[in-house]
Amino acid sequence: MATLEDSFLADLDDLSDNEAELDESDGDDAKKDEEDIDMDMADLETLNYDDLDSVSKLQKSQRYLDIMHKVEEALGKESDGTEKGIVLEDDPEYKLIVDCNQLSVDIENEIAIVHNFIRDKYRLKFQELESLVNHPIDYARVVKKIGNETDLTLVDLEGLLPSAIIMVVSVTALTTKGSPLPEDVLQKTLEACDRALDLDSARKKVLDFVESKMGSIAPNLSAIVGSAVAAKLMGTAGGLSALAKMPACNVQVLGHKRKNLAGFSSATSQLRVGYLEQTEIFQSTPPALKSRAGRILAAKSTLAARVDATRGDPSGTNGKALREEIRKKIEKWQEPPPARQPKPLPVPDSEPKKRRGGRRLRKMKERYAVTDMRKLANRMAFGTPEESSLGDGLGEGYGMLGQAGSNRLRISTVPSKLKINPTIAKKLKERNYAGGATTSGLTSSLAFTPVQGIELCNPQQALGLGSGTQSTYFSESGTFSKLKKI
Amino acid sequence: MKPPKKKFESFPFCLGLLKRQIRDHREKMESVLLPTLTKKEEIDRIINNTIDKVLVLRFGRTSDENCLLLDDILEKSARDVSKFATVALVDVDSDQVQVYVNYFDITLFPSTVFFFNAHHMKLDSGTADHTKWVGKFHEKQDFIDVVEVIFRGAMKGKMIVHCPLPPERIPKFQLLYKDV
Repeated sequence: MATLEDSFLADLDDLSDNEAELDESDGDDAKKDEEDIDMDMADLETLNYDDLDSVSKLQKSQRYLDIMHKVEEALGKESDGTEKGIVLEDDPEYKLIVDCNQLSVDIENEIAIVHNFIRDKYRLKFQELESLVNHPIDYARVVKKIGNETDLTLVDLEGLLPSAIIMVVSVTALTTKGSPLPEDVLQKTLEACDRALDLDSARKKVLDFVESKMGSIAPNLSAIVGSAVAAKLMGTAGGLSALAKMPACNVQVLGHKRKNLAGFSSATSQLRVGYLEQTEIFQSTPPALKSRAGRILAAKSTLAARVDATRGDPSGTNGKALREEIRKKIEKWQEPPPARQPKPLPVPDSEPKKRRGGRRLRKMKERYAVTDMRKLANRMAFGTPEESSLGDGLGEGYGMLGQAGSNRLRISTVPSKLKINPTIAKKLKERNYAGGATTSGLTSSLAFTPVQGIELCNPQQALGLGSGTQSTYFSESGTFSKLKKI
Repeated sequence: MKPPKKKFESFPFCLGLLKRQIRDHREKMESVLLPTLTKKEEIDRIINNTIDKVLVLRFGRTSDENCLLLDDILEKSARDVSKFATVALVDVDSDQVQVYVNYFDITLFPSTVFFFNAHHMKLDSGTADHTKWVGKFHEKQDFIDVVEVIFRGAMKGKMIVHCPLPPERIPKFQLLYKDV
């Protein structure tokens, strides 16, 4: 039992010991974490910090100093002949370049932090300057030049800014609400400006170094996209062989910044391009062709990277050929389409007429359709001779029209859609109104039919045909032309 | 500094537009010249080889003003009519061609003779001579109308067709018979 308790106690002790050990081993990491957290906190609290050094630590860091030293060394001496034997990753220069890439990104962040610092301090003096001059390095230079000066006419900003901006700045300075800074604040601000400019020059050095080496490390890739972008691509991919293993669609979006829309519409075109956006080729294509250009750039630069990874073409001719190909393709896209030649006339009668149907055509056809009257006139009753216009089977036959056997006494007077010639229409009207003083003596309104006897209403008269007895020789409206008294 | 207008943002785009204008202008100016025949074999060949298309042969000389006007109209409408007609020019000053000049009895220039499938097509335009068209056409459309009428008639199997043009558009000339 005692041994059990003892063992439990011992276990407890062990645990606490372990915790202590863990604490110790984590201590270093934790310190680093704390440092990082402090850094972040420092970012948040830069507004309150007075001391520049607590804000920007990079320049003092060991890593920075090491790499800068190496870079300056390497920039100083000429590179000895490329050693093709060594695998790329083992080359110490290559490692330096990867480090340089990372460092340049860090320097950029650092410059942004310092810019915030300067801005916050200088806001008391000249608030509007931060909105007029956006670029951090330009801002730092301008602040350094102006210093504590109130009268901007005494300050010469030539060469630092475009002349239009200088004009705007001087005009705004006249009406600014700011007041000159106290001496110590001014001192700190100027220090920060110097720091920013130093960082900028350091970054330039690093980039120059990388670019100069890029020609020997990846000549084909840098022939297409330029050394700066090539260096960035390599840095992000994690090495040249990693870049070569990537499919082209991935290379296209390396370095793509996910823009936080923050309420803005997503209808605007957001091209899927990363670092390739900064290449000269991409910048010079018209906006309509940018997406196609991005795709072809990614494809060809992937090919070039693969060539470089296997050290297949150290001279870079392959890259130049690919660049030329890309340029030609983009130019071809911009060519206007061939002009339309006027079409020759079609062969006459080669195309059959397209007959159209529809309501309009039907209405038109109704005007020339076979009427009910004509249909009846065309039919004949079996066994009964039809009546005819001249009687006795001479002249036009009337068929079933007005036959006693037909059900109707009159053919229905539906207004006919027939188009009647105006002169004929006039004659018909004349005939219809023939009743009156000038009626011919030979007309009758009675009809004598064999079966029904006398019909009080002449069915044929309703049709305008009149009975067969009406004479066509004697005019129904005319009179005697000559009257002679006997 | 104002940003440039979105449409004509980049120089290459403007350049593309300009290229298009120049090319259009150039293409309008150029026209394929009508073949000019000077030898009997050439005329024979073209008559025999034009199948199922009206063959329009213009007999004339390039120094004549009327001839030039007619040629201008022929050139302009050659492409439009190209699916059912071929146009060719015969230079009447060449020696070998005189055979044809005598055969068709061409005295006034320019004269146009129509063929279809190696068959000589006649055109009744109200003038005394039906075998050819003498003089120039008033308009491009007139020429196209005449060719179309000849084509339709020929496809139906007729040897002579009636001219669709109104008499005022038909050039008048007088035929001399043995200098009478």
